[in-house]
Amino acid sequence: MAVVTTPAPRRPAGRRRAPASEPERGIVSDADRRRRSVRWPLRASHVALLVALVVVGLGPILWLAKAAVTPTQDTLRTPMALFPHGVDWANLSEAWSRFEIDHYFGNTMWLALGSWAVQLVVAVTGGYVLSVLRPAYGKVLTALVLGTLFVPAVVLLVPLYLTVLDVPFVHVSLINSFWAVWLPAGASAFNVLLVKRFFDNLPREIFEAARVDGAGPFRVGWSIVVPLSKPILGVVSVFAFIAAWKDFLWPLLVLRDVDKQPLSVRLPALESYVELDVFLAALAISTAIPIVIFLIFQRTFLRGAGLGGAVKG
Amino acid sequence: MKSSRRKTALVLVGALTVSALAACSSSDDDGGLTPAEASAAADEPVTIQVAIDEGLEQGAIDAFDTRIAEFEKENPNITVERQEYTWVGTTFAADLAGGTLPDVFTVPFTDGRGLIERQQVADISGLVAELPYADGFNPNIAAAGQSTDGTQWAIPIAAYGQAIHYNRGIFTEAGLDPDDPPSTWDEVRAAARTISEKTDATGFAEMTKSNTGGWILTTLTYAMGGRAETVDGDTTTATIDTPEYREALEYLHDLRWEDDSMGDEFLYDWATSHADFGAGKIGMFVSGGGDYGNLATQNAMNPDDYGVTVLPLQGDDGAVLGGGTLAAVNAKATDAEQAAAVKWIDFYYMSKLTDEDAAVADAQATADQGQPVGVPILPVFDQETEDARRGWISDLTNVPLDQFAPYSEHVVDQPLEAEPPIATQDLYAALDPVVQAVLTDENADVDALLADAQANVQNLIDRG
Amino acid sequence: MMTSTTVRTSEAVLREESPQRGPGRARRRRTPVTWVRGGGLSTLVIALPLLLVFGLFSWFPIVRAVVMSFQFTNLVTPAEWVGLENFTYVLSDPLLTTAVRNTLWFALLALVLGYPVPLVAAVLMSEVRRMRGLYAALAYLPVVVPPVVAVLLWKTFYSASETGVFNTIAGWFGLGPFPWLQDQAWAMPSLVLEATWAAAGGTVIIYLAALTGVAPELYDAAEVDGAGVWRKVWHVTMPQLRGVLFVTFILQIIGTAQVFTEPYLFTGGGPANSTTTVLLMIYNYAFGGRGDYGAATALSLLLALVLAVLSAVYFKLTSRWSS
Repeated sequence: MAVVTTPAPRRPAGRRRAPASEPERGIVSDADRRRRSVRWPLRASHVALLVALVVVGLGPILWLAKAAVTPTQDTLRTPMALFPHGVDWANLSEAWSRFEIDHYFGNTMWLALGSWAVQLVVAVTGGYVLSVLRPAYGKVLTALVLGTLFVPAVVLLVPLYLTVLDVPFVHVSLINSFWAVWLPAGASAFNVLLVKRFFDNLPREIFEAARVDGAGPFRVGWSIVVPLSKPILGVVSVFAFIAAWKDFLWPLLVLRDVDKQPLSVRLPALESYVELDVFLAALAISTAIPIVIFLIFQRTFLRGAGLGGAVKG
Repeated sequence: MKSSRRKTALVLVGALTVSALAACSSSDDDGGLTPAEASAAADEPVTIQVAIDEGLEQGAIDAFDTRIAEFEKENPNITVERQEYTWVGTTFAADLAGGTLPDVFTVPFTDGRGLIERQQVADISGLVAELPYADGFNPNIAAAGQSTDGTQWAIPIAAYGQAIHYNRGIFTEAGLDPDDPPSTWDEVRAAARTISEKTDATGFAEMTKSNTGGWILTTLTYAMGGRAETVDGDTTTATIDTPEYREALEYLHDLRWEDDSMGDEFLYDWATSHADFGAGKIGMFVSGGGDYGNLATQNAMNPDDYGVTVLPLQGDDGAVLGGGTLAAVNAKATDAEQAAAVKWIDFYYMSKLTDEDAAVADAQATADQGQPVGVPILPVFDQETEDARRGWISDLTNVPLDQFAPYSEHVVDQPLEAEPPIATQDLYAALDPVVQAVLTDENADVDALLADAQANVQNLIDRG
Repeated sequence: MMTSTTVRTSEAVLREESPQRGPGRARRRRTPVTWVRGGGLSTLVIALPLLLVFGLFSWFPIVRAVVMSFQFTNLVTPAEWVGLENFTYVLSDPLLTTAVRNTLWFALLALVLGYPVPLVAAVLMSEVRRMRGLYAALAYLPVVVPPVVAVLLWKTFYSASETGVFNTIAGWFGLGPFPWLQDQAWAMPSLVLEATWAAAGGTVIIYLAALTGVAPELYDAAEVDGAGVWRKVWHVTMPQLRGVLFVTFILQIIGTAQVFTEPYLFTGGGPANSTTTVLLMIYNYAFGGRGDYGAATALSLLLALVLAVLSAVYFKLTSRWSS
């Protein structure tokens, strides 16, 4: 994804953000809200929006939760009925044990953690070098990294697969190893540029001061850069985690060993030989976990997803 | 400053290009093993990975492990590891290159010839020639595993003819006699109509996806007297734009749009059609004759409901499309691994066809785990061997043999035809959209579809 | 947040730290020793993760893609150069026109459904005083559901039998049953519907963040001029959101041009190739039985080229508008 910024709108000189005592306002002012012709349509549209969000956003997920504990025949014959023949909790345990959802979920978590770690290392070291250390080859490097943003993922599919099949110089095959997913995940130009921009916006004096004190690049990096970069690391982590969960095609290609496959690859394969109710239970379990994580870390997710307001008009 | 930056960029790009060019792989030239090499290789300790079907229940997996233990006892220098593997055409080449293919794996007849032609399996013909029954193969069936010079690169381990599977329970529910299944295409149509009217099930289902559409359509066409390709020396001509293909498509069209007896699901592939049939949603469908195992084990079908009958044949040229499974060895296996692999193939797949003790032992192990024993198959060698085999395991047979009677009693009399030999999967793939179009668009232009498919397939045949 | 200090390169720092250089000498002679001492080696070491990961798994494959598009590769025999043959083969493949048309159709439907609707929702949400978090969480929930789960779930919804979920709901209103995935005309819109459900929440949140960043003074100023709610939306909010709108538009185009998971899992490209997209074609070239990697890379390069041209034209146009 390309992050493009155009300069923030010019505020009249001398004016700053309204003082804290004034409430933040949007399009509709307080005066507007007092007018009947604005207040009621606004409220009505908010109610309508809420209903729509619940039905459309939450509805399918609630249905899945219900179907997960409903016997197959009920789901097939009367899908919208609520437990006409009672609840079948056994679906969940069968999905969990017979189809080893726990194992595949573990694989997914491992893949996510490893990808996250690699992405973090590459992005932080890369951003640090490009933004702060600025070696002579820095400009070329930045251009090369930026360039990959404009190459659609599809171009990489086949050659990356062949590269993973036989890594140059070391002649090792990463197929069926988690490294086949972890390492390519790190090549995210988006992350590097995000971190680089963040570092660009830090005051140079901090680094200068450390340099004058005689600290080398490692020291500066470790004791100053890393602690300072916590905010941006949150954003990068959110994206990394989401991307790892979503990953389907790549693990499908490189993790041929059923034992290593994540949920995303395993679930479609299960579809053909599992009864519908147990299958839906498996789907429900697979989605419950990211949802729970989302609910807990809501704010970080939403802040990261909004790109931290990085893209402005 | 600028020039050094540009220099750096050039050097980087140059380095990458050179390494990209240098990364072209070269293949290993592995000729067949001579017997001397084979026996020398026979005694080294060696480990091989062998394929086992995916998604099996624990019982079936245990039966497999028992067989492995028996094999390892007889061959102490060989260690066998099982690896879940199902033939998937789409990733085979990648699996082969990536080294994730087991040493012994099974591949349908349809794909065997192509693999052999592209040398993507090991040349084990020397080792095969050593086997005691090497000359006893049914020539039609052995041809599927031979290279152009007639040497046997892969071993046929099972053969089947296409059949119509039907659900006896649904037949009864619809008022049809499960012991008297339809024997002409008109009767099939009538039965489908009755089923769809009297029950909730689909009368007649058709696979349409992942090359199965073309496969089943070709099956119907063969039964109606048509063929897909004519081979004349080096020239192969596609014969798709023909009256028989048209007849098969119009038959499907009528069942779908006039009778509405084909249900609501038109994107069936092999796995999903078998799943729905096993779940009792389908009255009849056409597939390979040996599918009972999959239906009973992976799809938990009620054995009492299972029925199978022969395809109705029409005209002078009506024939049953034959298929089967080959056992092949990974092209990258070392000599020792190849020797061990052929031993495993002989032990696990072949001996139960030719040797009474092996057949009984295999049947026993399978029966102990509650898995189906005694499903009637087409003879890989000849009818006497097959009859003898059935005799050996008759005590252990736990499948409802009488329910197989409409098929097993009549298929031997039907002419068996091999699948179209050139670019088979491509041909089937090109026909998938044709079948899908006919089943999802009432006004599909059958003539245009067949003409296009003909041109496409001919192109693929010629591209080589 | 831009400060006015200039960025100091390590060389500048070096220069300052060694004042004993004579006049007229602009730089110190760079030898390996001074490079290491100046922190050059450490910098390289720190840059190593970036260099290795990008080098092996990004730059090298990109170059390799270009090389492979001019070769015939089947992984068993050595690759041979075939010049432009892959490109001509791909361009003359009759399926390509279908795939391009399908991809454009998907992109168009996705744009119509997934571009304005999140905007409207976000504008409404930005005016919610309390419980805005609830709205945002509800909107984003589908995004959190793993795509494979979403597709498989919706595949159940799209069952064409009378008792399929959506057909049952349609039945409440006296409509249907609809064929959904089983009909050539219905299949693609069905895919778009699910894809939009799964992705719209993300767009909503991006818009929401941009909306809350609009300076309140602008609205104050507009009200002084007597603007009502609609005028404010049209004359203040929209122009302020221009950057976001432009970027999400092109990102959505680039994203939908590469749609794969939905066609692959829902229909495998059917029925009758009505949901075969360009990316599915590429996948089938490479990982369909024939293993034609040259054709696959040739087509992916063509796609990349088209997207690049599209983006360039797009940015040219929009920069003229916004400046």
